[in-house]
Amino acid sequence: MAKQRNDYENSWFPRLQRWIAQGGTKLNDQMTAELSEASDAHRVLSADDMARREVEQAVHQMEIQEHEAVLYEKAHEWGRTKGAKLIRAFYAVLAVALCVSVIAVLLTTVSNLPSFGGENNPINNEVSQRYIEKGLQETGAVNIVAGMILDYRAFDTLGESHVLFIAACAVMILLRLSDSGDPRQLSRERMEAEANDRLYEPKNDIILQRVAGMLVPIIMLFGIYVLFNGHLGPGGGFSGGAVIGAGLILYLNAYGFLATERFFTIRTFRAVSFIALAFYALAKSYSFFCGANHLNSGIGLGTPGDIFSSGLILYLNIAVGMVVACTMYAFYTLFRKGDM
Amino acid sequence: MLDWLRFVIAALLILGGLCFVISSVVGVYRFKYVLNRMHAAALGDTLGILLIVLGLAVINGLNLTSCKALLLVVLWWLSSPVASHLISRLEVTTNQHLEENMAVKTESDPHEEVES
Repeated sequence: MAKQRNDYENSWFPRLQRWIAQGGTKLNDQMTAELSEASDAHRVLSADDMARREVEQAVHQMEIQEHEAVLYEKAHEWGRTKGAKLIRAFYAVLAVALCVSVIAVLLTTVSNLPSFGGENNPINNEVSQRYIEKGLQETGAVNIVAGMILDYRAFDTLGESHVLFIAACAVMILLRLSDSGDPRQLSRERMEAEANDRLYEPKNDIILQRVAGMLVPIIMLFGIYVLFNGHLGPGGGFSGGAVIGAGLILYLNAYGFLATERFFTIRTFRAVSFIALAFYALAKSYSFFCGANHLNSGIGLGTPGDIFSSGLILYLNIAVGMVVACTMYAFYTLFRKGDM
Repeated sequence: MLDWLRFVIAALLILGGLCFVISSVVGVYRFKYVLNRMHAAALGDTLGILLIVLGLAVINGLNLTSCKALLLVVLWWLSSPVASHLISRLEVTTNQHLEENMAVKTESDPHEEVES
């Protein structure tokens, strides 16, 4: 029985228990010893000792700072002296190389162009003749210029409308006020802008409001007329969009931001610009990707002279006009208040 | 005879309009102060334009083109006075020394002398 117990005492589980218990007591002893040492170290210092320690610490920190300053100097000396010279020389060499290569490319291109004013140049016989003679037949637009810029050279006009959009984006990046993050609360910048908007200029001028109430609908109608009439006569997307943008600006001047925010905010700007540009790009970039081979757009050319004729030109005019109107209005509001 | 009459009327109208425009240009260059200059400039924008367009319409006869030109006059008469009104309001609100330029001399007021 006793032997059995002894065996049990020597088996692994009681040994583990004993080991843990011993470890615990050892740990307790150590902790109490450390605590007593620590309390010993925390004995009350005299004022002289305190002052001496503070001086020691200050000197030590000064030494560390000096050491760091030396290290900093070592690490940044190269960048400030030799490195700067090297990078500057590298920049100069690169700039010259870039300019020379661009000049070379342009000069070789120019030297391969046909001579200026030669009577056999393609622009003097084929292109303009084709535009004048077959423009109406091929594009369906009575206005040859509209047929050129929106059918033969529609890809070019796509780039132009993107230029407008990018200009609006750049102005927005530079001038747009920051949001506060909380949609219910205006940021401080924005509140300042609201307060400073039209500090001296008349707000809610009754004369301007009456006249704008009469003129804005007429201006809008005229703009839409110019927009829709681009393929039938003088007009088109750019001029019609400019007229519509001017009408919007007049409305804003007369009635203020509260009135225009009901129908034109930055979300409207984003949506209209994006839809117009995406429609244009989808409708016309296929000819770019197909090597300028026109596919059938599915929209008939119709009778020349009708509003709904000449295929895609009317819709492209509307898209361009939307982009132009949005860009003009966005410029005005961004430069005036910093937001729409 | 009728053509001559029409020509004479149109020429008189256009010459009258030109008179107004020229006087407004002279006024713009001669006057020193903003409100005075605007007063002069408004002449050409309103009556000068009206007379010139009326003269052109008389020459052209009553058709769509002259109606469009007369519509242009309506647009000018609506927009130009409003624009000058806004500019003058801006000038009045921003100019701190308004009285120096618009001194009203009450001592030599003839009505007061009559009353007294």
